[in-house]
Amino acid sequence: MTLGLTGGWILSRPGLSIGSFFPHFFFTQLKYRGGEWDPNPLFVEAIVEELELRTSIDARKERSVLTISDPELFFCPFLYMAGRYEFEPFTQQEREILRRFLTYGGFLFAEDTVGARGFGFDQAFRREMKEILPNNELKRLPPDHSVYQSFYLISDLGGRQVVNPYLEGITIDNWTPVIYSQNDLSGAWSRDRYGKWVNQCVPGGDLQRNAAFKTGINIIVYSLTSDYKKDLVHHPFIKRRQNL
Amino acid sequence: MSANQIATAPVFPLWLIILLFCIGLASVFAQYRATRDKLGKIRALIISSLRLGAISLIIAFALNPSLVARKEQRISPAIAILVDTSQSMGQSASREEVTRLDEVKALLTEGPTPLLGTLREKFEVNVYGLADSLRPLEANDLARLVAGGNKGDISEALQALSGKHSVAVLLSDGNLRWNDNQVQQLPTITVPVGNPKKYRDILIKGIKAPALGFRDREVVIEVTIKSYGFTGLTLPVILKDSEQLLTARSIRIQTDPEEVTASLSFVPTEVGQKNLSISVPQQAGESVFANNQINISIKVVRDKTRILMASGSPSMNYRFMRTALKSDPSIDLLSFVILRTFSDILNVRTHEQSLIPFPVDTVFSRELTNFDLAIFDNFNYSLYLRPEHLESLRNFVQGGGGFAIIGGPNLFNEGRYGLSPIGEILPFRFAEKEFYRRDSPIGVRLSQAGAKHPMLRFSDDFREDDAEHLRFWQEMPPLDGINLVEAKSSSTVLIESADGIPRPILTVSEYGKGRVLALATDYAWKWYMGMVARGKGNQPYLRLVHRMVRWLSRDPSLDPVQIILPEMAASTGQEIDVRIQIQGEDPSGGSESAVSFSVINPEGVRIESKLKPTPQPGQYLVSFLPAEGGVYRIQVETPVGHLEESMVVAGPLENLDAAPDHDLLEKISSSTGGKYLSQGDDLLKEIEEYAQKAEKRFVEEKRLPVWATPFVMALVLGLLSSEWYLRRRWGLM
Repeated sequence: MTLGLTGGWILSRPGLSIGSFFPHFFFTQLKYRGGEWDPNPLFVEAIVEELELRTSIDARKERSVLTISDPELFFCPFLYMAGRYEFEPFTQQEREILRRFLTYGGFLFAEDTVGARGFGFDQAFRREMKEILPNNELKRLPPDHSVYQSFYLISDLGGRQVVNPYLEGITIDNWTPVIYSQNDLSGAWSRDRYGKWVNQCVPGGDLQRNAAFKTGINIIVYSLTSDYKKDLVHHPFIKRRQNL
Repeated sequence: MSANQIATAPVFPLWLIILLFCIGLASVFAQYRATRDKLGKIRALIISSLRLGAISLIIAFALNPSLVARKEQRISPAIAILVDTSQSMGQSASREEVTRLDEVKALLTEGPTPLLGTLREKFEVNVYGLADSLRPLEANDLARLVAGGNKGDISEALQALSGKHSVAVLLSDGNLRWNDNQVQQLPTITVPVGNPKKYRDILIKGIKAPALGFRDREVVIEVTIKSYGFTGLTLPVILKDSEQLLTARSIRIQTDPEEVTASLSFVPTEVGQKNLSISVPQQAGESVFANNQINISIKVVRDKTRILMASGSPSMNYRFMRTALKSDPSIDLLSFVILRTFSDILNVRTHEQSLIPFPVDTVFSRELTNFDLAIFDNFNYSLYLRPEHLESLRNFVQGGGGFAIIGGPNLFNEGRYGLSPIGEILPFRFAEKEFYRRDSPIGVRLSQAGAKHPMLRFSDDFREDDAEHLRFWQEMPPLDGINLVEAKSSSTVLIESADGIPRPILTVSEYGKGRVLALATDYAWKWYMGMVARGKGNQPYLRLVHRMVRWLSRDPSLDPVQIILPEMAASTGQEIDVRIQIQGEDPSGGSESAVSFSVINPEGVRIESKLKPTPQPGQYLVSFLPAEGGVYRIQVETPVGHLEESMVVAGPLENLDAAPDHDLLEKISSSTGGKYLSQGDDLLKEIEEYAQKAEKRFVEEKRLPVWATPFVMALVLGLLSSEWYLRRRWGLM
């Protein structure tokens, strides 16, 4: 029903070339060597449906997959990287490309779907981030960070599991090009072709899954609006609502 | 002749002379011994004495004896007469019918025994004029002398005259520059002219105003009014922009003389050069009216360029444009992003989401004029704006605001933009039913107009035919989506699609006093990341956005022609140099004929000016000589555009404080050891007294060499001849 409504709104717009529709947002998943680069292959459809249902963003339900050395990397609005296990170190050239991408406007959302701090994917990801952006530490994002306010006012992150009640990120000036989660948000978003959720969200169940969707939407909106919610015009509204 | 009248200057060392004398004495003694037996003692002694005398005289020549004659001489003292010729000397003297300078001339050259003539009979007299500089005056110059120029520097003048003169006579009203710290050696007799007690005037003594003001921010100007002889008067101080009254303040004059300071403030609402006048009304009996008004020039600039941006949805285009706008500290951005449309379903209560209402009425009905530039980014106006909002936007552009419209699927909304009240300000219309296309990537290229447009000139080195400039755009990443539009004939396409039928991508036009820009794509952000991907950084994209903003907000630095006015205040009689800079290529190819330049004086008459190129490409130097004070307009016409600037030139009597300052004259005379001439003092007598005190004498000394006299030579010859005669007579030969 939701999908039909959204699709109808998009396709009913006359003048747009049907069949050549190319949305503003799409996931680009990073494929890397070693470990397991695609722990939740069915995560895209549900979050994109939710995104289109709740926001004005046009999104594509198919994800793109590419490697760091792919020249198209720089034209991907939202780079997604997930994993369970430790992966092979990036080459110096790959690190240089990612450094350039992240320093000059690119965005990376990374997920440790196991949630084991200091092991497996978490260990490898933190190691690579230290190499790529040595002067900018991966830190816990403060509660007033724009990513918690970009669309929803978020207090609970949700996810397949709740390992951390916060997101981490690397902030350069006023922009956070890297956001990192260990709650397996994509695990909570994953849905099979029959519409059944692939994973249970523990311990919070559907409420926890809803929170994961909200967090996902906020991360996507943040990637497209940056610190827009920090503009002065938003302050009184956000403060008032947070105090309710 | 006495002994102290003879001086010696030995040509050999004294010991050598003594040695020679001893040798001579010994030889004479030997001769005496040799002749004594033959001639007897007496005769031998006579002959030896004659020989000794001759030898002694000859050896004495080596002492170079001379006769010294001394005589005391007197030097006639030199007197410097300094006539103050500055503009205040053109004011009334003690007798109101003549000027102060006329009074000085009369004192020096008129009467039964003209002072100057009398002095010249007794002393060496040099006459000087003192105003902007010290200049010597010839005999005929004095009669033709007219008052003019700034206050003279008497300290420097006395320093220059010191050593060459014994005494200086200064005839002045006391309007001079004097340095208390400079020690003066030349005694100066000061002769006051003008009557301070009778002087009446109100003048603008000083102005403290910023050279630069910011639009919509208060500018405060402090005005100091000085008054002579108007105790108890209340009068207004008026600030005007041309004929428009900006503000006025009343001041009351309590004492005499008195300086009163008033603060005048106004808020400039437009950017550009403001030529303002500050005045106080003229009063009956004032000595000078010209100093009741002063013109000043303040350049009004934006403190920040305020931008209103409405985006149809969160997008990469929004984020990268926001990044670019936020990276410029001179930009103040207020943006609204439509995060949710009416068809989107909200699944939470209000306090759980951060969305705020789009304050359309406030922004478009009341606040729009507070912005310099409005940007619609992939924005479907029909969902949010009513016709009156669009009317307001059209009026905003017509009144000088900038408007940028950025493409995307939401932008044209079935062509309703074209039919809306802002349709006429858009630089394009719709050519086809299909208004937005996302299919194959589309490359771009610069149009002919775009190649020379300042907005796209990222470097001053770029030229129209610069292959690198053209290639730069050709190598930009292709766009994934464009709006299919057709440029209006009144607009200019700067960037067009390079594949298939050329489609306008970046189009500009002017509407009323405002400027409009259309970027018919929502994929310009790829120009940012495309350059980053090629390792060239994000500067080209940032510069493009910054230059778009500057062009839309009519930033003068992007104008093809710029007039650079001199930084120093200009005044009449001084040649003024103005530089003209033509950006980018030199449209005239270095030929002056392609650049036309006019200077219009305050009366509206074109005056003579000279134009010449400078070694810098595209730069010209223009000189003109203003004859009167006021606002001068400078107009430039070139093939790439025209420009007019105006500048204030101070008038000759503007700011003139002509009140006689006799206290300063007293100080000058006492500091130099001279005398301040009071009424009843005899100037000639005083000068003579000082001249006599300073009279100098010296002793002249003349030397006459003794050996060069015929008498001494005859004496030597006489001695030798006598010896020879006696020797012969007494049989020695």
